[in-house]
Amino acid sequence: MTAVRTPPVAPRLRRDRRRWAWGLGGVAVLGWSLAGAGLFSGPVVNPAGVRQFGRFASAALSPAHDAEFLGVLAEATLVTVAYAALGAALAVALGAIGAVGLARTTWGRRRAGWTVSRSLLAVPRGLHEAVWGLLLLNVLGLDPWVGVLAIGIPYGAVTAKVFADLLDEVPRGGYEALLAAGAGRGSAALYGLLPSAAGGLLSYSFYRLECAVRSAVVLGLIGAGGLGYQLALSFASLRWEQVWAAVYALAALCMLADLGGRAVRRRVAAPRPAGGQAPTRDPLLTGAVVGSLALMAWSWWFLALTPATLTAGRTLDQLGYVLRAAWPPAADGDLLAAVAVAAVDTVQMSVIAIALATASALGVSGLAARRPGAGPGRWALGAGIRFALLLLRAVPPPVWALVLLFVLLPGVLPGALALGVYTLGVLGRLVAEATEEVDPRPRASLRVAGASRLGGWLYGVLPALSGPVLALALYRWEVAIRDTVLVGLLGAGGIGVLLSGRIAAFDWAAVTTVLATIVLLSLAVDLLSERTRTALR
Amino acid sequence: MPRAARSGGPVARVHRSSLLLIYLLLVAALAGCGRTSPVSDSAEETSSTAGPLRIGAIPDQDPEVLQRLYGTVADSLADALDVDVEYVPVTDYAAAVSLFRTGDLDLVWFGGLTGVQARLQTPGAVPIAQRDIDEEFHSVFVVNSATGLAPSDDLAPLAGLRFTYGSETSTSGRLMPAHFLTEQGVEPGGFPGGPGFSGSHDATLALVASGTYEAGVLNEQVYEARAAAGEIDPSVVRYARTPAYHDYHWLLGPGAIDRFGEDLPDRLTGYFTGLSAEDPADAEVLELFGAGSFVPTEASNYDQIERIGRDLGLVN
Repeated sequence: MTAVRTPPVAPRLRRDRRRWAWGLGGVAVLGWSLAGAGLFSGPVVNPAGVRQFGRFASAALSPAHDAEFLGVLAEATLVTVAYAALGAALAVALGAIGAVGLARTTWGRRRAGWTVSRSLLAVPRGLHEAVWGLLLLNVLGLDPWVGVLAIGIPYGAVTAKVFADLLDEVPRGGYEALLAAGAGRGSAALYGLLPSAAGGLLSYSFYRLECAVRSAVVLGLIGAGGLGYQLALSFASLRWEQVWAAVYALAALCMLADLGGRAVRRRVAAPRPAGGQAPTRDPLLTGAVVGSLALMAWSWWFLALTPATLTAGRTLDQLGYVLRAAWPPAADGDLLAAVAVAAVDTVQMSVIAIALATASALGVSGLAARRPGAGPGRWALGAGIRFALLLLRAVPPPVWALVLLFVLLPGVLPGALALGVYTLGVLGRLVAEATEEVDPRPRASLRVAGASRLGGWLYGVLPALSGPVLALALYRWEVAIRDTVLVGLLGAGGIGVLLSGRIAAFDWAAVTTVLATIVLLSLAVDLLSERTRTALR
Repeated sequence: MPRAARSGGPVARVHRSSLLLIYLLLVAALAGCGRTSPVSDSAEETSSTAGPLRIGAIPDQDPEVLQRLYGTVADSLADALDVDVEYVPVTDYAAAVSLFRTGDLDLVWFGGLTGVQARLQTPGAVPIAQRDIDEEFHSVFVVNSATGLAPSDDLAPLAGLRFTYGSETSTSGRLMPAHFLTEQGVEPGGFPGGPGFSGSHDATLALVASGTYEAGVLNEQVYEARAAAGEIDPSVVRYARTPAYHDYHWLLGPGAIDRFGEDLPDRLTGYFTGLSAEDPADAEVLELFGAGSFVPTEASNYDQIERIGRDLGLVN
């Protein structure tokens, strides 16, 4: 074996110009946003407010725990669970139906139809759950459907998109073989595509359930009951001990949903070895599906939902009342000017929030990631950071906005940072999970070769991590645009301030204009982030 | 012997038992349809009875206390009128107005402005009663001690300070203060960086205490309650008190009058004005509302609020 081999040609390393252009563009937008938040034009910090902030922070150590309040919280927790379960179930059902209309598989080469159906999604997706809740409240009154639909509609739209992508991405051999054998398109998809996509669909459904718990709390803030409702009441009087008790209850719920979802996802990713025998059902997955169905049935009973309210005469009357008041949209110059200013603020807030969350999430990802085989000290540190991230996302953004307003001067910045802190809670966890999936070998070999810890991370982990992290950050950017409405409801800047003002004045025509602007903004950000992702891929 | 070859093997059994479980759950769920929801009263009432009288209150002062002790008010009212009374919790000013319009709430404790909004959106609504203190209600302007301002009746010095109102449609935390500022020549939408909306009276106090906003305005009743409890930060200075105006009142919707009879408004007014601080059960209700007694009221008491609301674009 002495054949002469040509030495391997090293790929020419060069900078990718397109990536540089997008990167520099990103930095410029961040600079513009920070300037807009007044960071370079005078003081933004209010050191005198540290005492008020301290009251909030120190109450974390002494949450309210008298029996009466815990009883109130227990009942509220059940309501939140029921909303989350039914909202997620509705979202999965809507997503399954919608995916058919959105998949490239359905449309084939008819790109126009596909584009139209995707743009139609922008309306349900572009509005925050809390906004849907406020609108539905005006039509359905105090009916538990408000909470279920407010979660189910926007989540359903997101789920439909993800489901369609999953269906489009599975191997198509079976599907095409069935088509060639003369099967109809429907049955070919059912037998050729669905089985291979089933694992991904199941994983994502459970992920949605986890998110729905947090959304159910946000809905409580607008009066739909549950933990968020109790939190909002205590928040209005700044009873921080009670606020923290509600936050801990929520964190516990999120943790449970997370553990369940994680077990299912792990099993889907690494199925049990089939062995030599005929395939049997996986008891864990069967249990999860049956358990979820049981939870849904219980939730339906607990909330006492009746489909009759949806078609009741009163519902239609109220729908007519709101639609007549809301159409045509207001278009006077003053309003449009205010909308334009608020839209710029909103974009700047979302950019600052995402930049802060992404940078911090990367910073803590190395420690937050689970590392099997590490010592107990490392485990405790990791668990502590993961718990801190959980708390960051369990405290609703309006609460962050007020407590940050104690230590910052009024403006766009408190709202932006509030969103950033909350998004860090979400993104930190996702980035940590991405870190766990990175191939450990490059880092290990660098370390054995004598690289420092930081060096090993910078050259062994970061390059592999940057792609998924940017994709996650760009996805959360669109979510952050919708979330600015939430901090705005408390007057912390952005288009949410305008929205809450117009809603408080029952100026429905102006509400239509503002909502249309929000939908357009989130659509624009979605398109931009899609193009960025393509360029970076 | 391969297990799959046997019919009725473990695969099929798992399948059948889970189907049975799902079926049982569905039956249980449907059987539970007659249940009342923990978040709302079921909208479908049996036609033979008038159903309960649904009462609510805007979340204003100490909402957590009021909303969690609602049993007190509901029981007292139910005993006195001999009807079923149900307390419906609400967290949002605008939501309370909308729910009154949709008929989900029959009798609501509204602020001055929200009462006007609700009455204009719900033809046939009748004001029932107000507290003794609501005939002459006041707001107080507060400033942070670092501003160096001494208490005064002159509101002009506030114009140059970072200023926050309370909730956007609060009568005492926004509407009337804006009116009195205008009267003294201060633009109510001015202030450096624009006015803030803290969301609640307590948040206003905390934000002025922190110095984030140098000045703010809130309900005098809340201020006095916090001062009596020693909860006001030493850096908050009481700067000025507004002239008197009408504020909170109970408003009854037309749907309840249809269901319970034409005399319902009079019976309700009679109940509220008859509450006596001497009676221990009555005293509990009065204390919950921070009232010495309730007195009758009428729609014309709120004409001034409606006019100012229109000027500020809060009433359409």
